[in-house]
Amino acid sequence: MKVLMANIEDVMREAAARWTLVAYFFLSTIFIIIFASAINLDIVDGALAGAKLFGKQVEMNSSISIEKLVMGFESGFSGVLYVLCTFLAIFATAHLVPRMQEKGTIDLYLSRPVSRVKLILSRYVAGLILAGSNVLYLIGSIWMIVAWKTHVFHPRFFLAGVVILFLIATLLAFAFLIGVITSSTAVSIMATYGVFFFGVMLAGHARIEAALSKEWQAFAIKMLYWIMPKTAELATAVVAYVAGGEIHNEMLTITPAPFVSTAVFGLVCLVLASWLFQRKEF
Amino acid sequence: MTQTVIEVSGLKKQYRSAVGRSRITALDGIDFTVREGELFGLLGPNGAGKTTAVKILLDLTRPTAGEARINGLSAGNPESRRRVGYLPEGHKIPGYLTARQALGIFGKMSGLDDVTIKRRSLELLEKLRIAQWIDVRVKKYSKGMTQRLGLAIALLHSPHVLLLDEPTDGVDPVGRREIRDILQAEAAANGTAVLLNSHLLSEIELTCNHVAVLRNGKVAAAGSIEELTRRAAKYKMVPAAPVDDALVASFRESGAGVERVNGHVLLTVDDVTHLNALVDKLRAGGGLLTELSPVRSTLEDVFVDLVRAVDPGAQQSEGALL
Repeated sequence: MKVLMANIEDVMREAAARWTLVAYFFLSTIFIIIFASAINLDIVDGALAGAKLFGKQVEMNSSISIEKLVMGFESGFSGVLYVLCTFLAIFATAHLVPRMQEKGTIDLYLSRPVSRVKLILSRYVAGLILAGSNVLYLIGSIWMIVAWKTHVFHPRFFLAGVVILFLIATLLAFAFLIGVITSSTAVSIMATYGVFFFGVMLAGHARIEAALSKEWQAFAIKMLYWIMPKTAELATAVVAYVAGGEIHNEMLTITPAPFVSTAVFGLVCLVLASWLFQRKEF
Repeated sequence: MTQTVIEVSGLKKQYRSAVGRSRITALDGIDFTVREGELFGLLGPNGAGKTTAVKILLDLTRPTAGEARINGLSAGNPESRRRVGYLPEGHKIPGYLTARQALGIFGKMSGLDDVTIKRRSLELLEKLRIAQWIDVRVKKYSKGMTQRLGLAIALLHSPHVLLLDEPTDGVDPVGRREIRDILQAEAAANGTAVLLNSHLLSEIELTCNHVAVLRNGKVAAAGSIEELTRRAAKYKMVPAAPVDDALVASFRESGAGVERVNGHVLLTVDDVTHLNALVDKLRAGGGLLTELSPVRSTLEDVFVDLVRAVDPGAQQSEGALL
């Protein structure tokens, strides 16, 4: 526990001192402020009388209830937060392993009576806490602004945070793996963003397979689809969970498979990162 | 009876070269032990394998063969580092931390509670004369101050074994004396075993009581400083009157090495019997002796001789454990 606490303190102090934490929360705050000032809703007797977006009147269908509007807005907006939170989190935490592995620094960490696996996992948890606090800040703030403007409290919005944190945990494990291998923050960030986009691209694997002339190529794409994290499917899951079955769309049908295969990917990355770190010579 | 706290036996380490399949031997089967309360210096030219040996003791790198143990536990066991303090050469304490924060984080990683960390931090920073910098970020520190803080981190958990790589690097002469005093006090009062890895031979000579000289990955000589620096076969003879050429020639005829230096004679003899025979020759010629003493070389002389020697056995000094 002391090792974990020491790592959390180290990660938070570093994030604060290197302006990562400030920039991280500053960018999030700007986003929240823009959001708060852009939306102007006119609620009369619990019903939506009018709405303005960036000062412009929005045509409203009077048959839509305010609850449905909030639910629709939050579910759609959770998709934006999914990308924003994930990218900010990777940017703010990908340096944790490369920085620790620097010559002259790693000796100080490894000369403690702590196993290397415990050390890297403590750092991983510390990174997740940093990312999680930002996710909570962003989602919590947006939720409060919406509640303040509409008087509608829609707790399902927080489910988006859970899925987003799940994806961050997966991608951070991959960033740690690349960090252990290359000791480079830049490569870790680029590779992790690459995995994110590759995952989105592979969501259309069926069409890619159909377009390929050779069977082994189609098989390779299918295999890659099942190996890589399902970033596109998880984005759909975020929207669907926040909507809570209110939106009837085939695209939003969620199965456990994307979660299971993404979790396996993250777990394998974390185990590999720990194993390589354990074997690495400095 | 003092206990052995560091045991290194048959330690070998080979690195694979980045290109091709060739292997570079950093350590070629070294053995040494350090007992509690001992101040042990590890010497050697660049690339001799000193840092590799220390890294193996800390499990930063793994041996190709042989074994390294600390406090009876294999170096691969994290528990072996429970009572080990380490100051690496060119260490980088994160610059965003203050001394207080750095000591707090590394103290917690060593299993200390907050009260002990606070007490020991103040105590050590006072002793190392950087207490007034406790809340200043490390990036503002001079090299000497960073080195002192590194030593404080190494000493924080009252270690039983201290592994120090160039501990006085960048420290002013007064600071060096203070660090030396601290290390000697730790060894004497707490039985701390200190393994000092340094290029500063005078520093080792003043601090340590035992040394091992590494050359090409092997222990070229080991023993107490006294043993290594005493050259029993070399004596300074100061006669009452200058020795004449005939006497010098007769000394040489007996097989002794003779050097005349400022009125005295430096004799290199086979043994004590040989030495006494030369004294008899001096007296037989009516000469009188005012002083006869063994010549003690400095650790630097021993080191340079060992490093320059082509054959490791050629420079073997009496009493040294090769």
